[in-house]
Order: sequence, then C-alpha cells, then structure tokens
Amino acid sequence: MGAAGVVYLKELKDALRDRRTLLMVLLSSVAIGPLVLVAISQLVAGIEKRAEAREIVAVGLEHAPGLRNFFERQTYSVTAAPADWEQQLRDSKLGQPVLVVPPDFQDVLARGEAPVVEIVSSAANPRAQGGTGGVLRLLRAYNQEQATLRLALRGVAAATLETVRIEERDLADPATRAAQLAFMVPFFVLMAVLYGALNAALDTTAGERERGSLEPLLMNPAARTSLVLGKWGAVATVGMLIAVLSCLSFLPAQWLLRSEALAAMFRFGPGEALWFIALLLPLAGALAAVLMAIAIRCKSFKEAQANATVLVLVVSMLPLVLVLNQEGTAPWHLWVPALAQTTLMGRVLKGDLPGLAEALPSLVVCVVLAVLSIGFVARTLRSAALK
Amino acid sequence: MIEIHHLRKAFRQGRGKAARTVQAVAGVDFTAADGCITGLLGPNGAGKTTTLRIAAALIEADSGQVIVDGIDVAQRPAAALARMGVLSDARGLYPRLTARENIVYYGRLQGMSDAAASARADALAHTLDMTPLLDRRTEGFSQGERMKTALARALVHDPPNIVLDEPTNGLDVLATRALREALRRLRDDEGKCIVFSTHIMQEVERLCDHVVVVAQGRTVAAGSVAQLAAASGESDFEETFVKLAFGPSAASAATGGAT
Repeated sequence: MGAAGVVYLKELKDALRDRRTLLMVLLSSVAIGPLVLVAISQLVAGIEKRAEAREIVAVGLEHAPGLRNFFERQTYSVTAAPADWEQQLRDSKLGQPVLVVPPDFQDVLARGEAPVVEIVSSAANPRAQGGTGGVLRLLRAYNQEQATLRLALRGVAAATLETVRIEERDLADPATRAAQLAFMVPFFVLMAVLYGALNAALDTTAGERERGSLEPLLMNPAARTSLVLGKWGAVATVGMLIAVLSCLSFLPAQWLLRSEALAAMFRFGPGEALWFIALLLPLAGALAAVLMAIAIRCKSFKEAQANATVLVLVVSMLPLVLVLNQEGTAPWHLWVPALAQTTLMGRVLKGDLPGLAEALPSLVVCVVLAVLSIGFVARTLRSAALK
Repeated sequence: MIEIHHLRKAFRQGRGKAARTVQAVAGVDFTAADGCITGLLGPNGAGKTTTLRIAAALIEADSGQVIVDGIDVAQRPAAALARMGVLSDARGLYPRLTARENIVYYGRLQGMSDAAASARADALAHTLDMTPLLDRRTEGFSQGERMKTALARALVHDPPNIVLDEPTNGLDVLATRALREALRRLRDDEGKCIVFSTHIMQEVERLCDHVVVVAQGRTVAAGSVAQLAAASGESDFEETFVKLAFGPSAASAATGGAT
C-alpha cells in the first residue's frame, strides 16, 4: 500500500472517531430531511381532512329548523359552537368560521322579510377564514333553493334565474404541494454531502496546522501529492457516507407519509436512491477538494470555518435558482456544480432519467475543480506547515 | 553523520513598502559525528530552527549544503529523510488516535509494515519508559507524555541520525531527566548521531559531547564544553556562552568579519 493509502486509512479512522461531530452531522443533515418531510405531510393531511369534513359550526341554529334541515340534506353535520367561540376564533384555536343565527329567525322569515345571519371569522385566523367561502356558498344554495321553491309556486321556471352556471376549481391542491416537497429531497441530500465533508476537510488541513502536526508529517519521505490524495479521498468518503445515509433515510420516511396524495406523488425507491448516489459522487469529490483548498490557507479551524461559510452559502443558495427561475431548466444549469446535481436529481424524482449527455457537463466541471484544488493544496502544504 | 556546509537563508517579511529581508541563517557550519550528541546552542532567533528545518528538507537553503550520511538533502530529500528522525518545534499528535496508532502511522509512511511498526512502537515505549501510555488516546496527555510520543514517532523507522529542535521546551525536571537518559542510551547502545538544539546552557553542559555555538545566523565557536571554556578563558560555562554568543567575536561575525 502506498503512502496515499496509509494516509487515507488514518484520516478515515480519525474522522470516524470524531463521534460528537458525526452525531451532529447525522442529526442535522440525515435526520432533518425525513423529519421535515413527515411534518409537511402532516400539514397536507390536515388540509385534506378539513376539505373532506363537511361540518358547520353554528350558534342558535335551533331557531332555524329549515336551515338546519337544508344543511343535513347536503350531508353536512352541525356542531354547536363552544361558549367562548369568539375568543377561540381570535386565538386561532377554532379552525372554522361560526354561523350565527338570530333567535327571531323564524318570525322574520314568516313575516316575509329576510333575516340576517352572520358568518364570523377572523382575518388573523387563516384556517377559519379559509372556511368562510364554503359556508357562504352553502347559504347561497339555501337562498336559491328557497327562491326556486317560491318561484315554482308562482309557476316560473327555475332555469330563468340562472343565466350563467359557475363551477369553482382550486389549483392549490395537495399535488402541487407534493411537487414542492419533491424539490426538498435533493436539497437535503446535497447539504448532507457538504456538511459531511466539511468537518473532515477542515480537520485534515487547518486542524492539522493548528495542532502543529503538519510540519512533522511533512518530515516523512512520502510525496506531498500522496499525502494530499490520501486526505482528499478520506474527506470525500466521509461526505459520501453521510450522503448515502441521507438518501437511505428518505426510504423509511415515506412510509410515514400521512397524506395519500403525497405518498402517491413522492416516489423515492432504492432505484432513485442509487441514481442520487451516482450523481452525488463527483460532487462529493469536488466539494471535498475545494473545502480543503479553502482551509489549507487558514491557520486555525475556526478561521477555516468562517471561510468555508461562503462555500456553504453558495451551495445552499444555488438550488434556489430552480425555484426563482420559473422558465424551467436552462442549459447552463447543467454546468454549475450543485445546481446541476439538484436539477438532475429532480429529473430522477419525476421519473425522467437523465442521459449521459446531461450528466457529463457537471462531471467534467467537478473533475476539473477537484484536480485544481488538490494541486493547490499540494503546492501550499509546505508553506502552510511553516507559518 | 550530518554535515552542514556554509548554510545561508534569507526570508522576506511583510508586503509592499513594509517588506524587509531577514537573514535568518548567514553561514552555519558544523559536522555532527555518529555516536555523539552534538548541541546546537544559541540564543532565541539565532537561526537554529531554520537550520534544522533546512536539514529536514522543509525549507530550501539559498546556498550551502546539508549532507546526511553522504546524501545531499536538497537533491534527494526522501532518501535523506528515511535516514533521519526529526523532532521539530511543532510536535502535534492526533488526539483521537492512541499513542501506538500515532507512532505506527509514521512507521507506515516510512514504508514499514503494520506489524513491524507496532513491534517498534513497543520497543521504543520500553526505551522511553512509556509502555502504559501506548494504547491510550493522546487526548489529555501531559507535555512530557506528548514529547515522548512525538519522539517515539520520529524514531519509529530506527534512523541512524536524530535531529531534535528544543526538545526540553515545556518539560518539567523529571521529564527532562528522562529525555536526557533516553538520548544517552541511544548514543551509547546504538551509536546514533544526535543533533539537538537548545538555548539552555545546563542541558548542553550535562549532555553534549560537542557544542556548536550559533549567534545571529552564524557558527561562532565549536568544540567540547571544556574546550570552549578554555578558549574563552572563563571557568563558568554560562559566562563562556554569553561571551561567545553576544561578545565582540559574535558581533564581528555578524558584521562580516572573520573570526
């Protein structure tokens, strides 16, 4: 085994023994993705459930038996509002608008006048506010039924009242939410590579300088390129290991998806996981090398962390280009590392597997970045050891 | 054997208008023989560390030569380093590895097999009296324990030449004694060539067979402790050292005059 192999095994052992850091990385980049996925699925499931629940919350509905009968014929169930419903609406504790029926409803109706009912909600309570439209439509339907009946008694056709027929369609259905959710997975996996490689990269360069172990290391007869290659291999391996764990963590997470619509949209099986890993491998190599190149110039771990923040920020902002740019994928996206991987992983999730021609640009850029950075680290190693 | 001939090295410090050239080494010359402890004695900033770094191929000299067992360090650094064990000023260990793993890592980098390096770690631990430490992680080691581990790491490939840069820095009296004892054993039992830099006269007096006094980047005197004292006409070695390092001969050496 050459010097590079010896360095690789030692650095890998060293990085894997850093249990506290590894645990933090696992928590922050491996566990958080599935957790967010499950949390969002809970939210969507809640919206779906409310859409399905046909329920009216009312005060004084006993004064309007006709209206109650209409609701029940529309298969709505009626619940009496709690005593402190106004307060609950203000505090967003009550998730539905409250229908208030006056005590003289029936008398006013009998006199041939129009009784006033109130739909009470609060603009600061979006859940209740969202439900007012449904109650309003229901009341209009009741109005229309009553009007139609009265007209029918007078021999007028009901169709004369309706010149235009209206149907409403809400485009913000759960499927759209699921599409946004699918974008999240590549992002979390990408960040897992970065955070996985980050600590190991800083420790083998700036950390080694800070400890004063770089100078003695260079007094071994091993070539500097071998030393750097061994270190780089170990850093990339740790980054990739975290990425693989992150990919695998989404597999059980989808069993926990509460929303059926989401579960149907979010297809992430072992095949997709393998695609992700293949796409991330060159990126892990490039990020490891660039992080090392940034950190080798820094005298301490802390300084290196501050410098690496810029790279972390850039890598985490790049996927946003896809969100902000509504015109779809542009050809240059495939040439930018991190952005290219996010794009291609998104395609894999949609079941549209990328070809070699699409995967090649980012591969080439990653290899060039890695070679340049490794060369830079090897060249800087000696002067870094002495300062 | 380590031979150092007419070594010179200047550094540029600062940038732009503030830049200035510092002549760190301006003609260091000495020979360290096998089976002998050679002390490189000089005040802070005399150029000792720079000289030893050039010897360890970490820095290239502007002019002059370092020859280790007939090998020119500048031309064949890897071959020279294989015949040298260097304990530099920086002696950081890997805190998450055990002392043995730290030592074996360097053995492997020197081309030894895993088993051979581990056996050598055991032998060195015995010599340096650190066997109980061997399988503990180096996190939390005391200064003396760190120094022993770093020394064992530098000697893992059993080099015929040993270079130590201020090895007693930060050690207490017992650890210093233990180190002196270990160096004597390496000299007497194994006939090693040991070069050892320091600014502490007592150490040189107690340990060194041959002393090279360095001041302002130059060799200003060389010989045994007794010879140096006799030449300067002082009975006290501290007086001898002050006279040699800071006296008129050192000053004339620094300004270019021959001594």
